Amino acid sequence: MADPRKVFGDLLRATRIAKGYTLRKFAEMADMSPTYLSQVEQGKTDRPPTAERVRTMAELLGQNADEWTAIAGRIPDDLTDIITGEPQAMPELLRAAKGLTADELRKLTEQIREQQKDGGKQE
Amino acid sequence: MKRRIANRKYKVPFLPEKRIEDQAQLLLDEWAEAHAPIAEPPVPIEEILELHLGLDFCLADLRTELGHPDVLGGIWFGDRLIKVDQSLDPSIQPKLLGRYRFTLAHEVGHWRLHRQHLMDDPSARSLFEANCEPAFVQRAGDDAPEEFQANAFASRALMPQQMVYEAWAQWRGSHDPVAIADLDVGDYHADRQANEQVAMERFCKPLAREFDVSAQAMRIRLEKIELLVKEVQPRLFS
Repeated sequence: MADPRKVFGDLLRATRIAKGYTLRKFAEMADMSPTYLSQVEQGKTDRPPTAERVRTMAELLGQNADEWTAIAGRIPDDLTDIITGEPQAMPELLRAAKGLTADELRKLTEQIREQQKDGGKQE
Repeated sequence: MKRRIANRKYKVPFLPEKRIEDQAQLLLDEWAEAHAPIAEPPVPIEEILELHLGLDFCLADLRTELGHPDVLGGIWFGDRLIKVDQSLDPSIQPKLLGRYRFTLAHEVGHWRLHRQHLMDDPSARSLFEANCEPAFVQRAGDDAPEEFQANAFASRALMPQQMVYEAWAQWRGSHDPVAIADLDVGDYHADRQANEQVAMERFCKPLAREFDVSAQAMRIRLEKIELLVKEVQPRLFS
């Protein structure tokens, strides 16, 4: 299996170039040194970017931040709070949802949103 | 694992300076045609390297990787990769921006001047495979022919003659050269020539800043195109 750091680094570099940013320019935009950005792109860093940093880079390049965070092998910061806020029910829900297709997950998300809306009206 | 530094088993042919100048200009013309004319300095060498030539580029701890304390950069033909030593990172050492850009332009020089020659050399085939050894490694003060040529290319790519003339005229108000005798040459070194170089580099700093090159690189270029001269020759009709 390919090293996720290398997979993320290759994706980052290809997207940066496609958007027309040089290494130094993009490093400046993302508030990091070109040396560190190089290490991330080459998949050769002992300090992989944090979820927040991945989100910043994804947004600067017009990409889906959650998808990039997952590719970078990180968990978005808000998810940690969500899981620890409901330490039993939330992991159970996630385990139950494991194996559903992307389409099925989208429908489930819609249902949850509807339910939240209805719940809000009743309150 | 330390990789062995490139050795000099691959020779490059002699190239006249005019040919090097033409090659540098050709690259700038290609950029202008594909993107936009370079109306004023600095020459966008980083864009040319990554966006036009499509070369991979990174800053890395080359001194450890290659096992030499004076390495500035290197080029891996097979991986289409240029590496610059992290000691030149301009975000950490802003004063080294000129040196950083010159190192990039130097490696681009190897790509444009020497790659085809080595591609035609059957004994150099391994340089064009993935995970190859560096074809050339730039070290401080190295004056081997291939390094001299790459420096000449970098100088001409970053400071094209016409662009320098125009910037000079705008700065000085004319195309007239300046003589070293007219500069305030101090007494920093025992060597007169070293003192003159210090004076010239101090003088040409504003132009160096405009072109994002070091004062040393600008001084050498200005001497080459005779805008900085030992003494101004008297004109026939003045």
